[in-house]
Amino acid sequence: MAGETVIKPDLDFIKRIVAAGGDTAKKCYQCDTCSVVCNLSPDNKPFPRKEMIQAQWGLKDVLKSPDIWLCHQCSDCTVYCPRGAKPGEVLAVLRQMAIEHYAFPSLLARLVGDIKFLPLLVLFPVLLLLFVLKALGVLGVRVAEGLTHQGLAIPKGTIIYSKWFPTLAIDAIFLGAAAFAVFVFFQGVKRFWNDINVNPWTVRLKGGIVKNLVAVLTDILAHNRFKKCETTFARSLNHLMVVFGFIFLAVVTGTAFLLEWVFHIESPYNLFSHLWWLKVIALMGTGLLLYGIYQVYLARQANAEKAGPGTYFDWQLIYLVAAVGLTGALSYGLRALLPIPVLAYPVYFLHLVCIFCLFFYAPFTKLAHLVYRTVAMLYARMSDRGF
Amino acid sequence: MAIEERKYAAYLCKGCGIGEAVKFAALTKVTTREGKIPLVKEHDVLCSPAGLEMIKQDIASEGVNCIIIGACSPRVKYEEFDFPGCLVERVNLREFVAWTQEPNHPETQALAEDYLRMAAARIKKGDLPEPFQTECDKTILVIGGGMAGLSAALEAANHGYDVLLVEKEAQIGGFGAKLHKATPSSYPFDKLQNSPVLAKINAVQGNPKIRVWTNSVIETLEGEPGLLDVTIKRNGELETLRVGAVVLATGWKPYDATKLGHLGYGLPNVITNLDMEEMAKKGKIARPSDGRPAKAVAFIQCAGSRDPDHLPYCSDICCAVSLKQALYVRQQDPDAVAMILYKDIRTPGNNELFYKAAQSDPGVMLTKAEVTGVTEAGGKLKISAQDTLLGENVVFEADLVVLATGMVPTTKDDPILNLKYRQGPGLPDLDLFQGFADSNFICFPYETRRTAIYAAGTVHQPMGLAMAEQDGVGAALKAIQALEHIAVGMAVHPRAWDETFPEPFLQRCTQCKRCTEECPFGAIEEDEKGTPFYKINRCRRCGTCMGACPERIVNFKDYSVDIVGSMLKSLEVPTEEDVEDDEEVPLRILGLVCENDAYPALDAAAQHHLRLNPSIRFVPLRCLGSFNLVWVSDAFSRGVDGMILLGCKYGDDYQCHFAKGSELCAYRLTKLSETLDKLGLEADRVQQMQVAISEFDTLPQILDDFVARVKEIGPNPFKGM
Repeated sequence: MAGETVIKPDLDFIKRIVAAGGDTAKKCYQCDTCSVVCNLSPDNKPFPRKEMIQAQWGLKDVLKSPDIWLCHQCSDCTVYCPRGAKPGEVLAVLRQMAIEHYAFPSLLARLVGDIKFLPLLVLFPVLLLLFVLKALGVLGVRVAEGLTHQGLAIPKGTIIYSKWFPTLAIDAIFLGAAAFAVFVFFQGVKRFWNDINVNPWTVRLKGGIVKNLVAVLTDILAHNRFKKCETTFARSLNHLMVVFGFIFLAVVTGTAFLLEWVFHIESPYNLFSHLWWLKVIALMGTGLLLYGIYQVYLARQANAEKAGPGTYFDWQLIYLVAAVGLTGALSYGLRALLPIPVLAYPVYFLHLVCIFCLFFYAPFTKLAHLVYRTVAMLYARMSDRGF
Repeated sequence: MAIEERKYAAYLCKGCGIGEAVKFAALTKVTTREGKIPLVKEHDVLCSPAGLEMIKQDIASEGVNCIIIGACSPRVKYEEFDFPGCLVERVNLREFVAWTQEPNHPETQALAEDYLRMAAARIKKGDLPEPFQTECDKTILVIGGGMAGLSAALEAANHGYDVLLVEKEAQIGGFGAKLHKATPSSYPFDKLQNSPVLAKINAVQGNPKIRVWTNSVIETLEGEPGLLDVTIKRNGELETLRVGAVVLATGWKPYDATKLGHLGYGLPNVITNLDMEEMAKKGKIARPSDGRPAKAVAFIQCAGSRDPDHLPYCSDICCAVSLKQALYVRQQDPDAVAMILYKDIRTPGNNELFYKAAQSDPGVMLTKAEVTGVTEAGGKLKISAQDTLLGENVVFEADLVVLATGMVPTTKDDPILNLKYRQGPGLPDLDLFQGFADSNFICFPYETRRTAIYAAGTVHQPMGLAMAEQDGVGAALKAIQALEHIAVGMAVHPRAWDETFPEPFLQRCTQCKRCTEECPFGAIEEDEKGTPFYKINRCRRCGTCMGACPERIVNFKDYSVDIVGSMLKSLEVPTEEDVEDDEEVPLRILGLVCENDAYPALDAAAQHHLRLNPSIRFVPLRCLGSFNLVWVSDAFSRGVDGMILLGCKYGDDYQCHFAKGSELCAYRLTKLSETLDKLGLEADRVQQMQVAISEFDTLPQILDDFVARVKEIGPNPFKGM
């Protein structure tokens, strides 16, 4: 018969879904309530009903589905599911596995997804940064060699973090980490784009990429999809705050980079200097980020009963973002507001570790949704899926 | 115990609104003068201790023994108005008059008076029943030693009845004893267990009240309930015993898989669910062709079931069985997968919990699918399917295919009972239920049209072990009930209080055989000359024979063609002389209503205080099957303008408590129009309507429409002649 698909169940794949927190997938009995209650699902071949049975049968192609990314995990489906199959949670697990599938090296993604390896993952930036410090000669355990400061000694005088960790070294490390992330994302997106373009419901893509991308980004920035969630409606605002927190901080970082290397104005930039506006944006960004992530945390706790408790993969990113924000705020506070050098420098070190994790592991953590969801939404828009 | 010296009395109740609706002085006058009832008394609340005491006093002091109670429906307060040794006639003044008519209207008064006239006519001709009693052997014969039969045998034995359990095979236990594992029967219903039949077998074998005969089949069954002579062929030898009642629990056989070539049956690695069970019981699930392990097993559900070309029905257990067998596959090999391709998963009752549990196994996969073909290629089976949840046209690859074939009742093409009844050796309704010995499940489960023979288990309906166990209990209790009723000369369902029975005046019989043909229960046999005779213990007292008989020779003590005819003739039919010149002569219409559904529906309408048309006088019939055509001429010669018959629904989905009564009545009415034509009367004056007990709200409209139609035709031209 023409056009038949051979179904090849993969038991190992199902077991991995179950292990990653998608144990409820098997409970689905395909009543399709989920697709009916979902406000985001397209009318034509809606999700998540079909993804649920693909997960149950261990059909790996589900990872190539752009639809798993159109889901914003409103959890309306989970609330209304008559069998407790939690489609919202299952799709989150599928997204995690898709991130792993498209990431290179995928082994690293596996490590990121497993709490056992968390210490190892944190240890990597710690050692890397310590190694750089040592190479720069600011780290040593021996006192006798006549260095300006000894060992892990705290620099004297006004707290200026670049005294201890030169800006050049930082920028080199973090640009490197970012470049790595971009490279991995690029590889992943390339494969993802190729995969989704052979999906059964492919239509000829309409319109230019740029024009559509602008529309999609506008959609994302306005959180138009998020606002359609019912059960977790509060997330649209919470997530928006986190996103804008990051945007502000990115603006600040970019500006600082320019100031440092183009205008040769050395950091730190203080609230009471002529660059006060930069600091205001930075503080606003940090505030939004911290408040937003705190609200995300509260909302998740409050919704755990209805929407499911979330997986390690979810909480990992929440804690990482919170850690970035907290260490950043503390670094500033302990430097500018209540200078305590002996605390300030170590906290700053932790801040650097957090940011490194955020950048370097981005293609492997839940943060990767930033890229894959954008691509999927672009594809959905261009293939007339109602996005 | 005929009443020697009749002393009549009528007691009229004013309670529940009757007193406000009609004038009692006129009622008393009609009862005394026209009804010829010498003693008529009124009471404010007749069912009160004082009211009842008044009646009892009259019985004791005046010797009253024929009592008319003009009060509420005979369907209520029957214990209060039960006076032993007295003939009691209830007149439904409350429901049929006070609650459904306009108070103090002349037509309302006329209606109440007519009901009293009819009651007086009836009580004159009725008599007290004398129960028909025979010897009654209380042994219960259980045919079939599967779950339902074992359960029925134990239930009957535990109540003290002797049981003869007859099993065709060498061992008792049936299919339930051949299982590898059974689906769970106790909370939390998530684990396979040993078959519950095994414990039942031990219990039956250890019960001294139960005789177990294996390798035995029923050769013949003759006689009547309480006096059934069963001839059993046991190990090739015939033996005849006396039993009282029968539980038929011979179960099912699998649907013939050779008819399922389109699902691959015939290929070496395509097997049935029974083959799978056998293989699992032997200990190894493997491919029959080469003995290699089955890594991927596909179960095709509804194989030949819910399919108009094969079995049109659902066999109830195949879904749970396939889920169970999927777990066999998984438990034997943790790397194997079981794919279940279904139309719908149907796991009724607690099996739903088992479905959930089995589904949670990572290697049990389910999808809806219309399987279009199974082929073998390169050692693998390829199952093509349409309309799956996974896509339009898909192919599944499997090492082994299991066809979930359904149940065919053993009664499908074997009467089993081998009754020596005039109407045939098997149960008459089998063709109505695809071979199952079923009945209207809501109204009368277990009933068959052969009295004291009750069906249980999968011969009754498709069902699993848990339900068969309960079904056996139910059928055993019905058998016990039948025996105890028969022993005291009482009818069984649905007239389970009735001590009357048909008493034909055989000298006038013309041997037309209508009664023997039409009796829904095969209660009438014929002697060698062709004269009918009753096997009373088979009779349910519906009166179908009475309705059928052209010679009108069949009588019950309180119900006969003559009794009903007298009632119809007692009506007061107003003519033009009775009204002023400018007034219309009111219509008089008879409503002959089935006591089982239509009469209660009228009562229900009354309880809702719906208005019923005042021109209609209702006369209860045991069943429309007892409707005799002579009543039509009785009524029309009296001047009645129309006749409406309210009976149960008939046809495939019949609700008739006597299975065939309302249908037979409708058939008789088709013959009526000729008679009416000859009389110059319009056929529309007599109509039969089907009413379910729950349709009381439609009654006012049905009745009004009928009266309007009669009004359109015009008054009966014989009126006043």
